[in-house]
This record gives sequence, C-alpha cells and structure tokens, in this order.
Amino acid sequence: MAQRAAVARRLPLRDRIGSITSGTLAWIYAALLVIPFYYFIVSSFKTNEEIFESPLSLPTTFDFSNFTTAIQQADLGLAVANSALTTVAALVLTLLLALPASFALARARGRAGKIVESVFALGFLIPSFAALFPTFLLAAALGLFHTRTFVIFLLPATALPLSIVILTSFMRTIPRELEEAASMDGASSLQVLRQVYLPICVPGIATVLLLNFLSFWNAYLYPLILIGPDTAQRTIQVALPTLKVDAGTDYGVLMAGTLFTLLPVYLVYTVLQRQMQRALLSGAVKG
Amino acid sequence: MSHGISRRTLLGAALSGGIITPLLAGCGALVPASSGSNALTVHTQISGAVAGAQVFSDVVAAYQRSTARKVALLKNGSDLPIVFETSTLAGKEADVAIVNMMGRTLSWTRLGATVPVNDYLDDWGLRDLIIPEALAEWTDDEGRLRAFPFTRTNWPVSFNTGLLEEAGVGAIPTTSDELIAAADALRSKGIGPVTVGGSDWSGQKMFLQIIQGFITQDEARTVFSTGKISESPGAIAGVEHFVELRDAGVFVDNVQGYTSDSELTQFNTRKAAIVPAMSSALALVPNERAAEVTVGGWPKPSSGGVLEHPSVIKSFNGHGIWISENGLGKLDLIKPFVQNLYTPEVTDEFILGSGRDMSRITDTVSQDFPLVAQGSRLTDDDVTPVMLPDLLIPDAVFEPMIQATALAYGSAPADRIIDAFEKSYQAV
Repeated sequence: MAQRAAVARRLPLRDRIGSITSGTLAWIYAALLVIPFYYFIVSSFKTNEEIFESPLSLPTTFDFSNFTTAIQQADLGLAVANSALTTVAALVLTLLLALPASFALARARGRAGKIVESVFALGFLIPSFAALFPTFLLAAALGLFHTRTFVIFLLPATALPLSIVILTSFMRTIPRELEEAASMDGASSLQVLRQVYLPICVPGIATVLLLNFLSFWNAYLYPLILIGPDTAQRTIQVALPTLKVDAGTDYGVLMAGTLFTLLPVYLVYTVLQRQMQRALLSGAVKG
Repeated sequence: MSHGISRRTLLGAALSGGIITPLLAGCGALVPASSGSNALTVHTQISGAVAGAQVFSDVVAAYQRSTARKVALLKNGSDLPIVFETSTLAGKEADVAIVNMMGRTLSWTRLGATVPVNDYLDDWGLRDLIIPEALAEWTDDEGRLRAFPFTRTNWPVSFNTGLLEEAGVGAIPTTSDELIAAADALRSKGIGPVTVGGSDWSGQKMFLQIIQGFITQDEARTVFSTGKISESPGAIAGVEHFVELRDAGVFVDNVQGYTSDSELTQFNTRKAAIVPAMSSALALVPNERAAEVTVGGWPKPSSGGVLEHPSVIKSFNGHGIWISENGLGKLDLIKPFVQNLYTPEVTDEFILGSGRDMSRITDTVSQDFPLVAQGSRLTDDDVTPVMLPDLLIPDAVFEPMIQATALAYGSAPADRIIDAFEKSYQAV
C-alpha cells in the first residue's frame, strides 16, 4: 500500500489527474449500476407509501410478504420454470448449431466460406419487430402457435448471426498448426473441434452464452405473442406485467417480482463475466 | 492454460440442459392448461394484481370442483387485446374473453372476432339480472350486445375531511367557488389540494369531467367523438373553467408530472386532501385513511354550467364477458359458466371480497371497502352522473389526447389547450 502511494506520488501531475478522473468516473459508473439494484431490493420490502416518501431509505422491516404476494398473484414460480426451460433449451440449441458452423467458417479458405459468413451477417439487418408477423404465420402454419417449442427453436435462429460472428472470429485466432498436428495424429474433424478448438474457445463460448442468455431471458414480445397467456407456459417477462394495474399498483410487490427476473441475470453474469472479460481482452491484445 | 470453466463443465452444463429440458417439459404444472378439447378456455384480464383477481380464481376453482368441468384460465393484463387478436388470427383464441371495452376491443364484434350475445341474454336467463343501463352501454350502434357486462366502475371524488378540518374547512366543497376557497385554506396549511395524474389517463378523465360541467350529454357525445371543442361554446367554457381552477391553485404543485399511482399515494400519505379515483382504486385506500374520508362528486361550476349537483363519472364499462368464434362451438360449456358468474353468491363474493362494483343487480354493499360502499350509495339526489367518454374517443386519439391534457395541467392558456386537444384528433 505504502509502495503504491509512493509510486503514485512519483507520477507526473498530468498522469495523476488522469488517474483520479478515471477513478472517479469508474466509481460514478459503478454507482449508476448499484443504485438501481439497491433501489429494487429495498423497495421490495416496502409499502407504496414508503417507496414514494423515502425512495432510498432502508426498509423498516424485512418482511417477505411482497415476495409471496408477487409469486402468488403472477404465478411466478411457474413463470420462472418456463423461462429457465426456454432459455436453457435455446442456449443449448444455439451452441450446438453455432459451434460447428463457426468451426467450418473459421477453417474455410475458399470464397464459399466468405459468402456463407456474409449470409450469416445479413441476419443483423432484419429488425426483430419486422419479423414478428411472418414468424407468427410460420408458427400457426406449423401448428406450434402457443407452444414453448416454437420459441425454443426461434430464439437460436435470432441469436445465430451474432454467435457465429463472435465464435468464428475467436476460432480464427487459433493457430492452424494445432489443428494440423492433431490431424497428423489421426484426429477427425469432430475430434479437432472437441479437443483442440473447444478448450481454447471457452472464453468465446462464455461470451456467446452470456449475451444470448440476456437476450433469451429478457425476451418479451415474441413469447407474449407466440407462447401466449397460458400460465403453464408463459415466461416471467410475460407474467410480470400482470402485477401492474391501471390504478393503485403495489410497487413493493412489483419490485419483488422484478427481482425474480433480475437475480438470474446477475447470477449468470457473475459466473461467466471472467470468461467474457478474458475473451474481450484477448481480442484487444490480438487486435 | 487455465480457465474458470473447464471443457468438461461446459459440456456437462450443456448435457444437463439437454436432459433437464424434456424432464421439465413433462412436469405436470407446465403442461398447457388449455390442452384437451373438453376444457373451456377463458382469457381473463381479472388476473395478477387486479382487484378481484383472487376472488375470480377462487370462483372458477369452486365451479370446477362442483361441476367437474375443466376451465383453463389464460391470464394477461393490459396486453390481453393484442394477444387475443393474434390468437384469433391463428384460430386459437380462447372461448371466452373477460376484458373491458376500450380501444381495440371496441371493434371486435364488428369484425367478427367475437359474437353478439343478444340471443343468449334471454336464452340463458340473464336479462333480468343485469342493470339495464349496463346492457345499453355495451350495445353498439347496430344493436349488437358486444358482451355480458360484468364489472362496472364509479369515479367519485374522495375528500379527506380530517385535512379539510385542519385547514378550517367545515364541509366538503360542492361548488367551484367553495373548492377554490378550500384549496386556498389547504395551501395555507401546507396541504396539497386536489391531486390527480396530470400526465396520464387519470388527468385526462378529470379534464373531460370538468368540461362536462358545461355541456349536455348529447353535446358531450358530439364533442368527444369529433374533438371539435371550438365548435361548442359550452365546451370552450368548460376549458376556460378548467384553466380558472388550475390558475387558482386547485391542483397540487407540479400536477402535470403525476400519474394515477402517485395521486393515490399522495392522498394515502395525507400530502393531498382531494383525489378523484375510480372505485377499484378506492378499494386500495388503507382503512386508517378511509376512516377520515368522505366520498362525493366534483364541485359543480358556481356560475353557468349545466349540472344540478357535483358530478361523478359513472360507467358500466368495466369487464365484460365476450364469446369468441371458437366459443360458438362450446356454448354448452359457456352457458353454465356464465350463469354461475351471475349467481347472487358470486356477485356477493366479488363485492364483499374485493370491493368491485358489479353490473348485476344486487343490494349487497361492500363492507370491508368503505369508500367503495360510499361511492355505491351516492344517488342522483347527491350527484349528477356524467359519462366516461372512452367509448366515443377513437383508439388512435387516446395517447395524443393525454399529451394535450398533460399540457392543460401545465400553464397553457385555454386557446392553446383547445388547439392541442383538436389536433390530437388528427391522428384519426
């Protein structure tokens, strides 16, 4: 500590100002992230009157009745299970499709590979809202309207362009010599993917998992229309708005319900953030 | 090279996901409730945190137990209409929808998404059970009864007499002059006078209610369906009266930023003494606050105007029971279900258990929700009913009109408010 202070004293004035400024900005940014989360947590233990009267104060009691009310009124237990089911299944499907596709594109040397990669990138150009009606028609034609199954197939389709671009870029950074050495030892393409590429690509996979988790878990419009209002099937993002009423919304209950949607996001981010940072850093170094 | 997550862990997670998914899918609670052709599917807005949601769930559960018939409840909030409509396009809409009559749902009967229920009203013995005015309000211009009226709403004004007394106001104001005097007295004691959601629909309703102090109901129909305030001297006088009240400080400070939720909180926390709120919201006022509240109407204009008494918005446009095209094939299931909803026992459960105002004829008055009960007891000798103009205002006008009325709660002069109001109808 004393050494660090001594080093800081030795820094030129300009660097010290820069250091203090960036540190301050980092703390402000952290506060911007933490304060809403704090607000959610404390509000979920308060009444409307307490929330509006003193928004940031600590609750007078840590009564969990708002949580039980939220679970009961919006059937949140089922909704969380449905969201978990849809999200996990869609993530698995996304990886199963994106990994081999990215592997093939990363290894491709010809023009065909570039064209296929461009076709995947075209997916970015389609606004998701514009695709809603054709997607609805497809679901109805397939007899999968108002089922989770259709959304489980649909979500990976929306996520594949970004997933493939990220994984392909990541796999391109892997030296070809590694693959050639494995091939000389008699490894098949699948073995090369599993035993050479996958272990090195873990940060990239974690990045794809995290980004897609956020997108799948928070999806609202498509699950609302395509899965529908059946409490046995609807996701938490569709269930949550039923806690908001025209007049007299109980914001304590609404905040408690919202925490159920936020906690998995924080949990998954905590688990995967190190890998994602590693992926970003490796990209920065190699870039 | 060491990573936080090993390849084995990652593959394990993927495999676990693959195994858990079908297991969860087979879990009983996650099997669609609407599966099976014998189930009656009911798509309801009386769900979640809406007043009466628990009563409705209990009533349906009791009905299933007593009849051994399966009812699948599909639940949405304000997004019900769009979900119902897309379901209709796919031919998978619920047999019955329980939703209010506003915006998109106004066109359902005309477009064939739902069927008129005139014939069933008599065949199922419901005509004599439902308040005639409710049937009239739910009937369209071509005589089609859109749905069975189920819940209704009053829009009285609540006065905190404890706060009024603190300010030296002995009686609740019944004229605009008395209201202005009460507002002055309240302000001098640091108490907010009238609170309303100036930035949302609750402020819009208040604005339209004040205008109705100067126009007859026939004029109101013309003005609210066309938006032509400038062609109605009475409506212009109504806007000028609104501006007079606003400039006299009748509304709380910064009212143009409030919402329906913040108005109720201000009232519940004794920050404001007067609030116009619909009966379902009154059911949420805590008992200790309700004990010092008297429910009445919005003070009538002291001079001019067409009202005999203070005004109250009265509407039968609560939730209705709509029958879909799919429902036509299940009328044998719908009939006993709907008849059950109109039994005296179920009506009592809604009134006593949730403070709901019902469209069924009944003498039962809410006991645990005293403000709702006070509102129900107001007669035409106490207040003059005025209309809830939702049925007349075109769907596309709603949001632009709320922007115009939010402007009115600011500092805009009457002519600018009228101009903004009329422009909101250009969206049609």
